[in-house]
Amino acid sequence: MEKVIIIRYAEIHLKGKNRGYFEHVFAVNLERSLRGIRHELHRTNGRYLVAKFEESRAEEIASRIARVFGIHSYSHGYRTESSMEAVFEAAKLVSPQSGTFKVETHRGDKRFPLTSPEISRELGARLLAQYPALNVDVHTPQAAVYVDIRENGFALVFGSYEKGVGGMPVSTSGKGLLLISGGIDSPVAGYMMAKRGMCVNYLHFHSYPYTSDMAKEKVLSLAKQLSRYALTEELTTVSVTHIQEEIHAKCAAELNVTLLRRFMFRIAELIALKRGDQCLITGESLGQVASQTIEGMTSSNAVVSLPVLRPLVGFDKEEIILRAKEIGTFETSILPYEDCCTVFLPEHPAIKPKLSFIEEEEAKLNVEELVEEALAGAQRLKLF
Amino acid sequence: MIYFDHAATSPPLSSALKCAERYLQECYFNPSARYAGARDASAALEHARETLLNAAADGMRYSLVFTSGGTEADNTAIFSAAKRGNIVTDEGEHAAVYECFKSVKASGGDARFAPLHRDGSVDADALLSHVDEKTTLVSVMHVNNETGAINDINALAKRVKEKNPRCLFMSDGVQAFAKIPVYLNGAVDFYAVSAHKIGGVKGTGALFCKKGVSLSPRLLGGGQEGGLRSGTENVFGAVCFASAAKERLAAIAEHAARVTALRETLWERLDRKVFTRISPENGSPYLLTVAAKGMRGEVLQRMLWDKGVAVGTGSACNSKKPYSRVIAACGYGNDLLNGVLRASFSPETTEEEIGVCARAMNECAAEWKA
Repeated sequence: MEKVIIIRYAEIHLKGKNRGYFEHVFAVNLERSLRGIRHELHRTNGRYLVAKFEESRAEEIASRIARVFGIHSYSHGYRTESSMEAVFEAAKLVSPQSGTFKVETHRGDKRFPLTSPEISRELGARLLAQYPALNVDVHTPQAAVYVDIRENGFALVFGSYEKGVGGMPVSTSGKGLLLISGGIDSPVAGYMMAKRGMCVNYLHFHSYPYTSDMAKEKVLSLAKQLSRYALTEELTTVSVTHIQEEIHAKCAAELNVTLLRRFMFRIAELIALKRGDQCLITGESLGQVASQTIEGMTSSNAVVSLPVLRPLVGFDKEEIILRAKEIGTFETSILPYEDCCTVFLPEHPAIKPKLSFIEEEEAKLNVEELVEEALAGAQRLKLF
Repeated sequence: MIYFDHAATSPPLSSALKCAERYLQECYFNPSARYAGARDASAALEHARETLLNAAADGMRYSLVFTSGGTEADNTAIFSAAKRGNIVTDEGEHAAVYECFKSVKASGGDARFAPLHRDGSVDADALLSHVDEKTTLVSVMHVNNETGAINDINALAKRVKEKNPRCLFMSDGVQAFAKIPVYLNGAVDFYAVSAHKIGGVKGTGALFCKKGVSLSPRLLGGGQEGGLRSGTENVFGAVCFASAAKERLAAIAEHAARVTALRETLWERLDRKVFTRISPENGSPYLLTVAAKGMRGEVLQRMLWDKGVAVGTGSACNSKKPYSRVIAACGYGNDLLNGVLRASFSPETTEEEIGVCARAMNECAAEWKA
């Protein structure tokens, strides 16, 4: 008998001939999430088993795998040989000692001498004898003992199903570049794309010395938190200080943010193309701030040809906050360091900027040179 | 790098570290234990206590409790004294005092705040006008950590006691102790000090307490420090603190005279078209606060860091509260509030460093304008 963690996956079974590929990527991601913990990962039909780990680290393993996209649920349990004696020994460990319970059996190995109901009945009787304070309730039990007789001569015995995070394995749905600020929204946007299986890379713009190192640290910390799900290993940072100074000095104040965002998109696209990212991802939500109007989005989209995914576009702030709290990025996001310095913020930003006006103002700048200069200063920071 | 943020923290004196190292490495015993080695540790602790106590007070009239720092010393004194009636302080206090008063107020207590003069010193008459027969505590800092203004705490304490003899008087002496002369006159009941501002290590502070004044502990446990501050004693930190204080006090007047001159040199070399002086001339020698008109202190601070000069700003900057409440309480307007820079010195500061700092500050301001 051996302690194991049983992992069941979510949508992968929907994928016909691609299933092998999805399963492979999921396994790779599970391994990545368990880096640094000694274990073995086995694939058996339709599930994975984590085995050969130190029992004291079981909870740590569970908390890590619960966040790997693609996981439907997991259970702490035991792997035994498929004999009634061995199964009973394991059942004793996972069974409650009082209250109501039932035994539920799944028999994959049809050569096993008893049928599923017979196994349940037999085990239930033995457990009742073992724990006198226990009662059977097959309809609404307080606890359950699950037995799974596998074909390979082993049985799995476990006590409950713990919910996993769901979604699709990261890296099975292409690559995207997330524009991550220090705010609440962008980590949530990244989370949502990663949840649908996208490999999400991070790009952060700062304007040191107008923004502080603390702001950069904050983004690093957000990126690390997001990476517990997205499994991304590095963050690219680009300074837009000079661009902001130029815009501030030469262009109409109300277009400050609009113009800056166009620069950010241009830079992001060049970085994305270089590393094979197939789209840009932003945390924009329609109408949330002056630059996130349809006109604002149109003006940013106009300078790039890659698709721009905005998974939060139809979300209210409250909905986004709720998700940020679930993911665990909210607390960091609300730390008070600015990401886009208020020194350059106009009093009244343009809400519905006309593309012709934007282009006219932009013509006052040497766009190509500024973009190149910013790209030359890009830094790649390891998150782990 | 030129380090001009000694009011935030000062590097430990190597002499003090050397003197105390033994209590980390060899004599690491718990001073409360009963074997001989532990007695050695507790003797060192008591010796440190005596040194510090006699440095600023009459050891017969005062006792000294070691704490984890200035903040804990302030909190202990305030929450001991603020039990009923009203309590009075001023708008210039460090957060370690100010937040305690605000917390008393938030939980329904009567906490009163006296205004400041333009240099950051407390308006004594206004302070006194808040004191009545129900006042249980008055707290006034010795040296204002943001402007360097000095409050005459002995005189203030006397005036408070004349008005209400039962009222307790405390002072946060973190920026004063071992930097400017201080000797508690008996009217001051509590005086909070910190080690790492004068060349000791972080995590060590102390509270001077007038004997006979009751103090209630904030931390309960093994009953160390006469039951007033439980927790295994930080012998290393205490010995370091005493050693640093001793060294600083030995030349306190010479250092003060020299650093005052350096402070004035820095001010003379700054571009007057950009910088406005906030620190008073008769304030702490170790601190010069200026404000750059129309600029942001935290940005200048980062530009200076990139030029190899570390200075402080008015306060830790954040987007919700981008300026210092203390400088605002001094009566400065929005054009200067955001641009506050604080250069703070140590006895080791040199004229050459002052020159480099002045040049760098002028350059940064010029770059900003461009």
